[in-house]
Amino acid sequence: MVHYKLIYFNLRGRAELARLVLQHQEIVFEDFRFEREEWPKYKAGTPFGQVPVLEVDGEPLAQSNTIARYLARQHGLAGQNDWEQSQADMYVDCIHDLIGGTRPIIYETDKDKQKEMFQKFLQDVVNPHLQKVEQQLIKNGSGFLVGKSITWADLAYYSFFSPMMERLGEAILDITPHLKKLVAHVGNIPQIKKYVETRPKTAL
Amino acid sequence: MPGYKLYYFNVRGRGELSRLILHCAGVPFEDFRFEGKDWPAIKPNMPFGQVPVLEIDGNKMLAQSHTIARYLARQHGLAGQNDWEQSQADMYVDCIYDMHGTMRTPTWETDPVKQKELFDKVNEETIQPHLEKVEQHIIKNGSGHLVGQGLTWADIAYYAFFTTPIMTRLGGEVFTKAPHLKKLIELVGSNPNIKKALSSCPAPNTKLINGHCSTEWNAIYYHIVM
Repeated sequence: MVHYKLIYFNLRGRAELARLVLQHQEIVFEDFRFEREEWPKYKAGTPFGQVPVLEVDGEPLAQSNTIARYLARQHGLAGQNDWEQSQADMYVDCIHDLIGGTRPIIYETDKDKQKEMFQKFLQDVVNPHLQKVEQQLIKNGSGFLVGKSITWADLAYYSFFSPMMERLGEAILDITPHLKKLVAHVGNIPQIKKYVETRPKTAL
Repeated sequence: MPGYKLYYFNVRGRGELSRLILHCAGVPFEDFRFEGKDWPAIKPNMPFGQVPVLEIDGNKMLAQSHTIARYLARQHGLAGQNDWEQSQADMYVDCIYDMHGTMRTPTWETDPVKQKELFDKVNEETIQPHLEKVEQHIIKNGSGHLVGQGLTWADIAYYAFFTTPIMTRLGGEVFTKAPHLKKLIELVGSNPNIKKALSSCPAPNTKLINGHCSTEWNAIYYHIVM
């Protein structure tokens, strides 16, 4: 049995997708979390001075999406063939772009400006994307983003939109009823539901 | 052989890695480049309203620059020899993606003095610390390549990033502490398929600038932000 150690801050952040992949497939792993003040202790030992890092029997792998993709491929959540795997990669890259778009908003200290930035982000970036995703979901026909069954792409959309819905209300996904249904479906998967109920409650 | 059509602006930007992978692998493709004024008509037909997009056999479309590049690398033997090597290659390409992001500000700066200042800051804070780590990894890997024993799309990604017009103009000292990476980038540049592909320009309104096909506009700006 391979030993996995996932190293990251005590946050959901950029490690949560990998955690969800492992939790969904019920793979035992060491979920190594540290507080911000401890980071200098661990930084030098990482491949590129960043986390998350996944140690696979002690060998390090860096970069959040690379880690999640590796785990998805090793454990049957990546898609059934090359084409499906690429479709899943594509959707996860879209979420990666959305996460990048939230960063300047998260770091904005003026609360009014932050609210304005977020509204603009929703209107100019998120909603147009959701409209395209809705079309793709309808076209795919299975209820999942890729192929006939769940992939890490579905988990990525769940990971991004579920906390947002909790904070801002479920109505933000009203323009994409199929994605809203998919996110709810993922949230109700027993091992995901259990994990989300028991994971550390963190701001990010 | 599948029919590939790569849709992107007539610049290097986020299309170049896929182009270089196809050239390197000797795979023919339609390098469909368009000008900014043509974009509004093309945009609605793209899966997520963005480019690059790879169209396969006229009916399947794949979006997202690194997904496209990874797909092409895997289909044509440039992704790594096993799951672990493929992931190592993914990891390096993700690092390049992050560095693209930090280079945006200096690239778009039009005042040359300010541009040099911004570039030096990115170099000091991001590029140099990264290259220090990469140099150690290349030495440890032992083959001269980033991953495994031979060329992968990771090597090509580093080549593409470090041979942009801005890097060529301002980044002369960037490899002072990374001689192995410098050698690797020169090796990629001397690949016969890449040399041949870059010796002529596929589209009108482009010319060779610093050995790469560019529009005048792209000679100053590194890549387009959509």
